[in-house]
Amino acid sequence: MNIRHHPDDSTLVAYAAGSVTEGISLVVAAHLELCPQCRARVRDATDLGGVLLAGLDPAPVGEGALAAALARIEADIEGEPAPPHTPRAVDGLPATLVPWLPAGLDRVPWRALVPGIRHFRFPGVDSGGGTVRLLAIAPGTALPHHGHGGTELTLVLRGSFADEIGRFAPGDLADLDPSIQHQPVADTDTPCICLIATDARLRFSGVVGRLFQPLVGI
Amino acid sequence: MTQAGIRHDTETVPGTVAPPPELADWLAAVAQSRNRQAFARLFQWFAPRVKRYLQRQGADPDLAEDLAQETLIQVWRKADQYDPAKAAPSAWVFTVARNLRIDRLRRQRLYEVELTDEADTEDEHGNGHQRTLERLDAGRLTALVGALPAEQVQVIRLAYFEGLSHAEVGKALDVPLGTVKSRLRLALAKLRTAMG
Repeated sequence: MNIRHHPDDSTLVAYAAGSVTEGISLVVAAHLELCPQCRARVRDATDLGGVLLAGLDPAPVGEGALAAALARIEADIEGEPAPPHTPRAVDGLPATLVPWLPAGLDRVPWRALVPGIRHFRFPGVDSGGGTVRLLAIAPGTALPHHGHGGTELTLVLRGSFADEIGRFAPGDLADLDPSIQHQPVADTDTPCICLIATDARLRFSGVVGRLFQPLVGI
Repeated sequence: MTQAGIRHDTETVPGTVAPPPELADWLAAVAQSRNRQAFARLFQWFAPRVKRYLQRQGADPDLAEDLAQETLIQVWRKADQYDPAKAAPSAWVFTVARNLRIDRLRRQRLYEVELTDEADTEDEHGNGHQRTLERLDAGRLTALVGALPAEQVQVIRLAYFEGLSHAEVGKALDVPLGTVKSRLRLALAKLRTAMG
């Protein structure tokens, strides 16, 4: 997989620091699964977290805290239960997303959104004021021109789209902040399937966009 | 527990305290032989720092102490999952504390993947290993962070310790979001270049 578009360093720092919404973390994790380069970048940002933790002014801890902790580990039944079974990637669908879509990308329970666009919401993922969903955009269909109240991350899983920034193919992640307005168009002959998370509502511009807003709720 | 109570400043300068190299030995002793003494040392070193971290994230002192204890209990339970090739001990404990904070203070979770490096498994010539050796040099990274310009350290601190989004950091410092992001990018680029 030749990935050309990656999350911004500032996004990976926010991820490693744990200050992103659950929905944003889902998209970052799915990209990391596909991108060894970004896994290395997150390791750097995590190392930074460790160094910062080590540099913190130690807070006084109660006298009995260590004894209490030792008593708790003695009471532990020996050994930690095996980590939960981790699913494997299914035909273009990162393992991170398989728990919601065990049958893979070919059998997503899509719902129609507007002509040319279907979507699937991830139940149980908290996205703060935003959303996280899978979109299937029919070939040639354009999303209305829109800007963002916050961050918008889009990870292409199948097909591709093009916008003012460039062309995005499977594995590519578009990392947009509020200053960017764009209009993605699915530009191949198969539907473009992408995972999109926002941490605030999108702002559509123009008459068509304003009509679109209540329908989409993104 | 010598450090606790001696320093009274609430804002330490990152880069002044490098994690001691013994942390890796203590963690290994806990993982391999369930060594209580090694656990006690890990507790004494980490619990006061994890407590401070949680207080910075908005927990009151009692809750912060409970969660610091919980973090170290998890370190005990998960010690055999710790892989020194993937993270320095302080980075690993940081992720345990961070995930506990997200779970208990925010009632959310952070989706994660194994941060393996394909170079570690696929490169027969040891290039991945080279990278691993550099990773473990937390002392060097500490010094590099200490040498960053103050404005870059400030945004890093706010991101890691205050649980703030970059937009919130921008509001707190009264600078545009783009400035927050570019300071973070500059800092990361500098650290990466210096670490090779």
